[in-house]
Amino acid sequence: MKRVDKKPRGKHEAVILFAVGEYRFAIAANAVEEIRNTQGLQSLPPGAVTPRLAKFRQTLERDHKRYFVVDSNLHFRLFPSKATRLLVLRESNAAVLVDHTDRIIEIGQLHALPRAFQGEERQWYRGLAMIEDRVVPVVNPAAFMSRSEFTVLQAAVAGTETTKSKGAATA
Amino acid sequence: MSAHPNSFVLFPIGKKRFALPAGSVTELARPDREQSFPHTSKLLTGVLVRRGHIIPVCDVAPVLVGPDAPVRKFFLIATRKFADASEWTAIPVTGECELTNAELLPPAGKLPRYVIGLLSLENEIVEVVDLERLIGSEVAA
Repeated sequence: MKRVDKKPRGKHEAVILFAVGEYRFAIAANAVEEIRNTQGLQSLPPGAVTPRLAKFRQTLERDHKRYFVVDSNLHFRLFPSKATRLLVLRESNAAVLVDHTDRIIEIGQLHALPRAFQGEERQWYRGLAMIEDRVVPVVNPAAFMSRSEFTVLQAAVAGTETTKSKGAATA
Repeated sequence: MSAHPNSFVLFPIGKKRFALPAGSVTELARPDREQSFPHTSKLLTGVLVRRGHIIPVCDVAPVLVGPDAPVRKFFLIATRKFADASEWTAIPVTGECELTNAELLPPAGKLPRYVIGLLSLENEIVEVVDLERLIGSEVAA
């Protein structure tokens, strides 16, 4: 039996620090297309809102692309807090509402999440970083919206739009 | 720490003391700054940073003595075994720990499955617990 390797892995990486509630997180800078305010968000049509996909409540239209907005409180199972910034993810149709962003820093080490953590956090996080004596989880951008969640949301929104346009045509 | 089969670390949780085989205990740590981040794993309350290692904190007191366990002040750092590796885990305890040598007696009566034996000390009977079973019993619940 060997001990878990806690040695640093990977090279230096630029990350964006952000906060949700009382917690601080990091996300790879190259996973974020844009940090913006929360203007321009639209509510998901009622037909697209389901308990299973409760963390998605809004959409953002940007450059002819629709993003589904993730409430990070619900994603991380936290109490509600005041979101003021939106992280628009790159190579994804997800954008993430967070309380605020801090700054971009470079981390040199990514520690594996200890094996004792066996819950959803294994999907949420790529690992842990030590930043100024604080342990900060580095989020896995892909965990904010799975391919199947995207497919369901896309279909639900498309279905609602089809119903609307049919209704407008018959009116 | 000695891995002698009859060597145990006694740790207090409230008024009661429990024991772990000394071979599984790495260190007795002073109060340290526990840090937390969102997760959904039962019993885990956060992590400690010790000599560059990030160590998960697993609070077993509610399982051992119930929800009214007093404030935990120290950490017992033990080794947990996983399928392909082992890993340190910090167990919060309420007071100082003690190393003792005693014969491990088989568990008697109706005891939880995580009690792997008993130590008959001068004025007390101490339950020796298996960390994996103890944590597993709660995680599976």
